[in-house]
Amino acid sequence: MARNKYDIDETLETPFDVRHLKRSLKYAAKYKGKIIAAMLLSTLAAIIGLLSPIIVKNAVDNYMDGKEDIPMLLLSGAGVLACIIVSVAFTKKRAKLMTEVGQNIVYDIRRDLFEHMQLLSFDFYDSRPHGKILTRIINYINSIADLMTNGLINFVLEIFNLLFITVFMFIVCWQLALVTLCGLPVYLGVMLFIKNHQRKAWQSVSNKSSNLSAYQHENIVGAKIAQIFVREEENEEIHDRLAKAYRKSWIRAVSFSNLVWPSTDIISITVQATIYAVGLFAFRGTLSLGTILAMTDYTARFWQPLMNLSNLMNTVINAVAYLERIFELMDEPVSVHDIEGAEEMPPIRGDVHFENVTFSYEEGITVLENLSFDVKAGQSIALVGPTGAGKTTIVNLISRFYDLNGGTVRIDESDISKMTLRSLRSQMGIMLQDSFIFSGTLLDNIRYGRLDATLEECRAACRIVGIDDYIMSQKDGYNTVVNERGGGLSQGQKQLIAFARTIVSDPKILVLDEATSSIDAKTERYLQNGLNHLLKGRTSFIIAHRLSTIRSCDRIMYVSDKGITEAGTHDELMAKKGDYYKLYTAQSF
Amino acid sequence: MEGARGLYICGMLFTILSQSMYIITPRITSEITDTFIVNENAVANLETRPDYLIGLLIAMVGFTLLRGALEYGSTMMYEHSSQSMIYKIRNVVFKNIEDQDAKFYDYYRTGDIMTRISGDLDMVRHSIAWILRAVLECVVMFIASLIFFFSIDWLMALCLSGLTPVILLITVTFRKKVSPKYRVQREKLSDLNTRAEENISGNRVVKAFAREDYEIERFDELSRGFRDASKDAAFTWLRFFPFLEACASSLSVVMLVCGGLFVIFGRLTFGEYIAFSGLVWTMSNPMRQLGNVVNDWQRFTASANKIIEIYYGRSRIATREDAVDMPRRFKGKVEFDKVTLKFDGETIIDDVSFTVEPGETVAVMGETGAGKTLLTELIPRIYDVSSGAVRVDGVDVRMLRLDQLRGNIGVATQDVFLFSDTIDGNISYGDTEMPEEDVAKVAELADADGFVRKLSDGYDTIVGERGVGLSGGQKQRISLARALAVKPAILILDDTTSAVDLETEKHIQHSLKNLDFGCTKIIVAQRISTAMYADKIIVLKDGKILEQGSHKELIARNGYYKEVYDLQR
Repeated sequence: MARNKYDIDETLETPFDVRHLKRSLKYAAKYKGKIIAAMLLSTLAAIIGLLSPIIVKNAVDNYMDGKEDIPMLLLSGAGVLACIIVSVAFTKKRAKLMTEVGQNIVYDIRRDLFEHMQLLSFDFYDSRPHGKILTRIINYINSIADLMTNGLINFVLEIFNLLFITVFMFIVCWQLALVTLCGLPVYLGVMLFIKNHQRKAWQSVSNKSSNLSAYQHENIVGAKIAQIFVREEENEEIHDRLAKAYRKSWIRAVSFSNLVWPSTDIISITVQATIYAVGLFAFRGTLSLGTILAMTDYTARFWQPLMNLSNLMNTVINAVAYLERIFELMDEPVSVHDIEGAEEMPPIRGDVHFENVTFSYEEGITVLENLSFDVKAGQSIALVGPTGAGKTTIVNLISRFYDLNGGTVRIDESDISKMTLRSLRSQMGIMLQDSFIFSGTLLDNIRYGRLDATLEECRAACRIVGIDDYIMSQKDGYNTVVNERGGGLSQGQKQLIAFARTIVSDPKILVLDEATSSIDAKTERYLQNGLNHLLKGRTSFIIAHRLSTIRSCDRIMYVSDKGITEAGTHDELMAKKGDYYKLYTAQSF
Repeated sequence: MEGARGLYICGMLFTILSQSMYIITPRITSEITDTFIVNENAVANLETRPDYLIGLLIAMVGFTLLRGALEYGSTMMYEHSSQSMIYKIRNVVFKNIEDQDAKFYDYYRTGDIMTRISGDLDMVRHSIAWILRAVLECVVMFIASLIFFFSIDWLMALCLSGLTPVILLITVTFRKKVSPKYRVQREKLSDLNTRAEENISGNRVVKAFAREDYEIERFDELSRGFRDASKDAAFTWLRFFPFLEACASSLSVVMLVCGGLFVIFGRLTFGEYIAFSGLVWTMSNPMRQLGNVVNDWQRFTASANKIIEIYYGRSRIATREDAVDMPRRFKGKVEFDKVTLKFDGETIIDDVSFTVEPGETVAVMGETGAGKTLLTELIPRIYDVSSGAVRVDGVDVRMLRLDQLRGNIGVATQDVFLFSDTIDGNISYGDTEMPEEDVAKVAELADADGFVRKLSDGYDTIVGERGVGLSGGQKQRISLARALAVKPAILILDDTTSAVDLETEKHIQHSLKNLDFGCTKIIVAQRISTAMYADKIIVLKDGKILEQGSHKELIARNGYYKEVYDLQR
């Protein structure tokens, strides 16, 4: 999955191969016992199912001549009933087992996929519409449930069936058996032809559906913008285009899929007709009546499993189109990951060292070059400078959200690239520009960083940021349920809650990235007092444009396109009359 | 289903035709067997009438070809008609979602809406393409065989149909039992969808707090819930399935015992018995199918209800029929007249009145949660007032056409949302026809041109959803450029420069002062530097106007504004 938007199809690099199926078989292997049991049950049910026609035939032939036959007739009826009951019971048991297995496999795949998604770094999420990721983990995985529940077992059974009948045919009359087999290459040829087209067509369906979802998702989330810009009509047109493309690809795909059944049917009947012709003309009288009857019967039976297999192939090809997308996501390389033998980050004291750090998001566009600085434990550092100069990048590197192109970042004595991500990040408190609030209660949101935090601790944090009063004024207080993205809260309130969330996580190093931009000056002043108390003994990095926020920091670093051009306390930098001085005086009025 | 109805009915006719053709092949084979294999003169017949045999064989293949074609044709007709119907529904639903008011979005979670327009819609399509057809096949076949049976012997036919009420009873009970299960399953899917959606959108927070394990746990719980609900629904079906299946299969027992007795007592001839038993499956198959159909039907209704809810849901904020038509560019006068806004009885905006003359700039300040954003959102009717009126150019906004009203307003929202599109596409969002040099021009006004040109693909750089990959200040500037691009008569800037540096802000202020089109500006701000040059400054507190006036007046007043001024100096 490369950088992508809603109307770009994602090209798939991997060609069709059995690997996808093999890989899904691995998931099935976990439930070997149940699958084998289900197969045995199916076989038994089939055998018992075959018994009843024999009983019926026997009864019709022998027990319908006079009144003295009535008891035997009734007995036969009872026998058939018994067969039915046993066979149904087996079938039910089998279905139950396979539902269990199928649902579990789907669940397993979904869990693995989600776990992998948690490892993927920012750049993955940043470069593609979220709707596309969402369809994969939800809809695509649901689409393969059917294959997992019945496809697998039917496939094996039908293959057995086929072998069984072929052997029988050869025993009865090998010449006619060969005639029947002659139909096979034709069948395979036709299927291969259909399959090739079908596969491409279903891939296209999965692509188009992914595009459609991406667009729908984005428009649900961004509906307000669409309305404000009166874009409804244009968006409907775009949606219409995508929906049409989806419909077209679907129709194309089913126009191939639906060919499978009729063409198998036609080949089957043609072969049966040939058997009659060959049997009657070529063997003119040399073949016994019984043989011809048996052979035509077997030919019909020979094609039955093939028809079922063809149908199954439809399901498989359909599912593979989704499976390959699922596995593709599961194989998405994790750009930032624990190196082999990564160590646990020891409790952080708070020294931070950048040594000749070079970094670029995209090749050729260097954001930071040979950047070096040292921060002592407990210091508060303000990063100021023009937007886009790399302030956020610097703090992102401390948490190792990206890997460096050169140089090292060390915290205390440890090179952070050699530490486990978990042990590193769980000691950091990062407050991002986008204060994302999860749906759930306010309390859940506030203790997100430390689940065992008590209500009292959460309230204390909220008092520091000054939102306790507001929360307590709500009907349900801390148990107030907020919608996704914190609907119902103002932007400033969201920032305050995100702030409290960071405080509760009790970080050793605190990063505030525009954490107070949407908060009014008065509230911020209030917050500042609490914050000063909080910052004591912790290393902190603060990115802000409001100089009132910055002034009190131990050290201010001016970050421009050329790296850190000035560093020092407020007074030192003011005396220097450089960039910071210019910036500062620009704000006074 | 208009438009597709003809096709659908045609497909149904084809189905009936091809179904009835299933009898032909067995007829031909039995003719071949009778004439050329089991007949006493079989060998002679073969000698004398080989043409007849060849003819029969050709007919056999020919009919199959025809049947295959019919079947294919009918299937494709179903696909076509169901797809075009779904396509229409999808477009209507999308349009409805697009038009919905903010309340709708406060209520429905994204994941839930996504479930409706993906999974639910597909279930409905499946039903139209397959379930209705299965019902048709069942009914046609059942009735045909019933008529056929009664025409031979009514008592035998009665015996065979004796099980029908039992099957119906089982089906009805099953329907009652399974329908809540499918509703539960559907809800669980929606929950799962929501959780996944939030995890993807909130991936930065998840990583920042290293909460991956917790997320996995929460997702796992819902995933398990969905799995168990799916199983539960399937198992309910499996509880009833044996009875249905046994009943349907028992027809052969009834046939054997009753038929046998009738033969013994001379009521039926042996030939009639054979005729009955040869066609018993035409009765048992529909019975068997019935359960399947009902099962699918329940899933269909669970899904269809969810779609219908959105399909018929109408936005409370829409253009009124008696709306005033004002196709010209607005002058930009904005009046708030005793405006009050209430949510669930709680007063958010309380009796606010003020007037902004065309071309004026108003700054709105106030504490976090004072209602600044909501106040501005009343102008483009994101929300409607509870009492009082908001007037633009002297007309109540509720009396204006929504497209004309909003077309005259440019908004840069506080929570910047960019689309996963190129930067060019994002800026020209409100005016797609915009030539590229104009895009660059408005970007320059918002001081975005410089950094955009430094990106690898310049204006063609694709930014992720929500503009991730850009810094907060960069996103704000693109959002501002997007608002300026429509050359609005009223420009609303909701804290748009909070994350930009001061130099950039100066640049933007300069641009705003020198726009080449007349424009009323309403600016929500935290910084005095942003507010001080406004013609009028309004300070909100708890939804009420606390102070209003010019910078000088408010400084002189020595209130909230002065306090903030001192803080920021």
